[in-house]
Amino acid sequence: MRISSSTIFDSNVTALNLQQAKLLQTQMQIATGRRILTASDDPVGAVRALEVGQSDATNTQYASNRVAAVNALSMSESTLQSVTSLIQDVRVAAVGAGNGSLGNSGRSAIAADFSRRLQELVGLANSMDEVGNYLFAGFQSKTQPFAATPAGVAYFGDDGQRNIQVSASFQMASSDSGADVFMRAKNGNGSFFTQAAPANMGSGLVSIGSVTNPALLTGNSYTVSFSVVAGITTYDITNSTTATVISAGNPYVSGQAINFDGMQIDIKGAPANGDVFTVVPSVNESVFKTISDLVDALNAPVVGANLANSLSHGINNLDNALNNVLNTRASLGLRLNQIDALQVTGEDLGMNFKQTLSALQDVDYNKSISDLTLQKTVLQAAQQSFVKVSDLSLFNYL
Amino acid sequence: MGSNLFTSALSGMNAAQYGLVTTQHNIANAATPGYTRQEVLLGARNPQLYGGAFLGQGVDIVGVRRIYDQFLNTQVLQEQNQASYLSSYYSAIKQIDNLVADPVAGASPAIQDFFNAMNGVANAPESIPARQTLLSSAQFVANRFQAIDQRLTEVANSLNSQISGSVNNINSYAQQIAVLNGNIKRATAAAGQAQQPNDLLDQRDQLVSQLNKEIKVSVQQDANGTLSVFVGSGQALVLDDQAMSLRVIQSTTDPSRVDIAYKSGNNIIPLQQSSIQGGNLGAYFAFRDQSLEPERNALGRVALGLAASVNQQNQLGQDLKGVLGGNLFNAAAPRVDQNANNTGTATVSASIVNVSALTTSDYQLKFDGTNYSMVRLSDNAVTNLGPALPQTVDGFTVSLSAGAMAAGDSFLIRPVANAARDLAVMVNDPARIAAAAPMRASAALTNAGTAKISSGTVNAPPPANVNLQAAVNITFTSSTTFTVLGAVPAVAGPVAYTPGQDISYNGWTVQITGTPAAGDVFNVTTNSNAAGDNRNALLMAGLQTQNLLANGTASFQGAYGQLVGEVGAKTHELDITSQAQNNMVAQTVASQQAVSGVNLDEEAANLLRFQRAYQAAAKAMQIANTMFDALLSL
Repeated sequence: MRISSSTIFDSNVTALNLQQAKLLQTQMQIATGRRILTASDDPVGAVRALEVGQSDATNTQYASNRVAAVNALSMSESTLQSVTSLIQDVRVAAVGAGNGSLGNSGRSAIAADFSRRLQELVGLANSMDEVGNYLFAGFQSKTQPFAATPAGVAYFGDDGQRNIQVSASFQMASSDSGADVFMRAKNGNGSFFTQAAPANMGSGLVSIGSVTNPALLTGNSYTVSFSVVAGITTYDITNSTTATVISAGNPYVSGQAINFDGMQIDIKGAPANGDVFTVVPSVNESVFKTISDLVDALNAPVVGANLANSLSHGINNLDNALNNVLNTRASLGLRLNQIDALQVTGEDLGMNFKQTLSALQDVDYNKSISDLTLQKTVLQAAQQSFVKVSDLSLFNYL
Repeated sequence: MGSNLFTSALSGMNAAQYGLVTTQHNIANAATPGYTRQEVLLGARNPQLYGGAFLGQGVDIVGVRRIYDQFLNTQVLQEQNQASYLSSYYSAIKQIDNLVADPVAGASPAIQDFFNAMNGVANAPESIPARQTLLSSAQFVANRFQAIDQRLTEVANSLNSQISGSVNNINSYAQQIAVLNGNIKRATAAAGQAQQPNDLLDQRDQLVSQLNKEIKVSVQQDANGTLSVFVGSGQALVLDDQAMSLRVIQSTTDPSRVDIAYKSGNNIIPLQQSSIQGGNLGAYFAFRDQSLEPERNALGRVALGLAASVNQQNQLGQDLKGVLGGNLFNAAAPRVDQNANNTGTATVSASIVNVSALTTSDYQLKFDGTNYSMVRLSDNAVTNLGPALPQTVDGFTVSLSAGAMAAGDSFLIRPVANAARDLAVMVNDPARIAAAAPMRASAALTNAGTAKISSGTVNAPPPANVNLQAAVNITFTSSTTFTVLGAVPAVAGPVAYTPGQDISYNGWTVQITGTPAAGDVFNVTTNSNAAGDNRNALLMAGLQTQNLLANGTASFQGAYGQLVGEVGAKTHELDITSQAQNNMVAQTVASQQAVSGVNLDEEAANLLRFQRAYQAAAKAMQIANTMFDALLSL
């Protein structure tokens, strides 16, 4: 076949260009550490790398969201830990206050202590995070949630709970509203609340009571009123909501169960004539009111069983408040545990993403350097052979 | 007979001289582009009858011809046209390819940053620094989209100058071909049909080859030696020694683009783009219409999707000052361009109504005198809109803002073309980010039941209900029914209660769960002082992972990834095909050169051959002289 002289040059130049381009590409890959320099190097891989990179970045963001959630939850938890021990201390002191050997001055000393404890508790409920946001104010994190009013300590926050996106599919509450923690403990036994009338003169001590048949509960208020005639004590049970007498003239035996409308209470001691005990549906009572009621009871003169009744109910309500706080703490602990578990999953996921990303876009140095060496050898060979071939000419011999 | 010897020897010397000159010409032009090697055609002279025998009279030079294969030349032309198309397209799209997928310079990292910052606000909605970070990253997103769009615009601008450069080249080649046609016609007429002006023919072939690299041409050889050149759908660019020209004109449908027109005399006729195929010019138009503008639209769709979705959610929220949120980003309106040939008085406007339904195509609104129709230009799908506007197609609404269209009028509508360019942050006060919801629900502290109420969500889409923040009381009349006070329109009578079911009034939705007691009250109120509320910020942060584009099939970053994938795949394809095409060109050129190219070794051999032939003829002359001397000395 006939070959034109320019073809020899042209085809060699083309081949050299091609080899150089390949060499440059490999060299760029090694220099940048990236296998995919532009999307066209591997369109599918480039898009996949974008997607995985996005998932990885989102996953990393969830991890920092979790840090924010852990911060908030831990702060609430440590505050509520102090609240727990405070309520426990008050409860112990309240039990001690029932000791008959205490005089008025002893009781008022305890009352003074309780007042201080109340201030301390309000302070804890108004705790702020490191940048000055109230922990228990619901959405109104810049508004002081608890403050004293003539009617006792009131809540100025709301029911808002802040959620944080802790994983792709899970939003977790990172705050609890002060209303739920401090204001929403049901008093009494959670269903109804027994109380001795303040004017009672006898030593009748009413129990907290229990529900014997939930189906019979009416949600109405009742009175149990005593009359002592010729040394014989009887009591009448009246539904004060409907103003109907349920039973009248029941003989009274100290400590014997009194049953009506699915409820059971008992009254110990010797009620005086005209003494009245009320049974009303449970309502939410704030822990602040419980303590402030105790202070009032301790400061009041002892008549009959009024102090014993007040302490008994106060301690019961303190238990309710404590339970409410402990429930919140249990929930906080559960959430912190969940975050730990999510953290482990998230880290595994992140590791996966990074491995996938690396496999997609990172250069394989062994392969690339071996490629580079080969391409360099080929280019050298092409250059040398080109010089040799182009040197051949008949004109050399003329 | 003796004189025969002289003439015969002389003709041999002549022939050898012709051979030497032609060989030298070949050597001199070995590197001339388009040169075809030449050879001297020799023929023995007619013999003369001398004494009963035909005696040779020497050699005649019949002519000099170029060694040329029409078939191979045509093949080279075809392959080169395709190769220049592919390599021009490749080098054009390579500019975008380098831009979009860069892990640092692409839009995807900026979108990621924005949503990271949004999560930061959701984690600490009362924090001004977190909000400031969000605004900065929003600015960063806008800048990144603008920068990429700006780069695309620069590519488009340089494309326009490449187009006019290419048209200038075409016109200049046509002019030169016409001039050569004239020269060849005259030369052929002077020398007769048998003799060809080889080097002029080579020059003309070379010009046709260069012209063909710019635009696909068809040629026709005419009897007088001239070559007619046709482009497009048969428009004559060169006829005889006359050259017509192409012009770059502003497109009638889209003033931002250029088109090509054919100028014949004083008439300027726009050329259909479909008729400009192959070559550099074909590549520029194909790149503009199939890659550059669709990618700009794809980029615009991501920008618009992001802006509109974030705006929509922000409008449903409440900012730190307790005011309802506004637009965080500027979401550009569709671009509408009137056809320059419209005869009606209509002004048409368009607006986006559904981001999810948007495509990356442009549209043409047409009117036939009775009915409107919309053509989606990416696939030429036609939607009949009937006799009245406004109508909605693919997520945008067109309406007639003034005047009336005449039959045959058209408008070009580009729903997302400006969205990336015009993406901007509309808010500079960090407090204006609506991280909170405008309302909240709470249970009264006196409630005896165990029912709880959710904080509530605002119903999409905006605008928010005007009574959104009005106080509403939900009071349970029993554990299974409640009354509603404050809802607009007023709710008469009790409503049945189902735990966990949506309760929706005044543009909000709450859920109540658990067992309420009779007399329990739940309040929905305005969300005053709600510095710590992050409900709306959480929803905005959640937009990142939702498939809000392409009819619910792609997230923002997913849609951007598609764009990168499309550009990458097209670039990759062009890389491979243009390499293959270059190999094809190299092969056909090698075949053509094998016939027509100069081989210097061959020419060296010819030099020697003609030198020997000359010497031998000269020797014959000397012998004839010696013979005369011998005769004269007798």
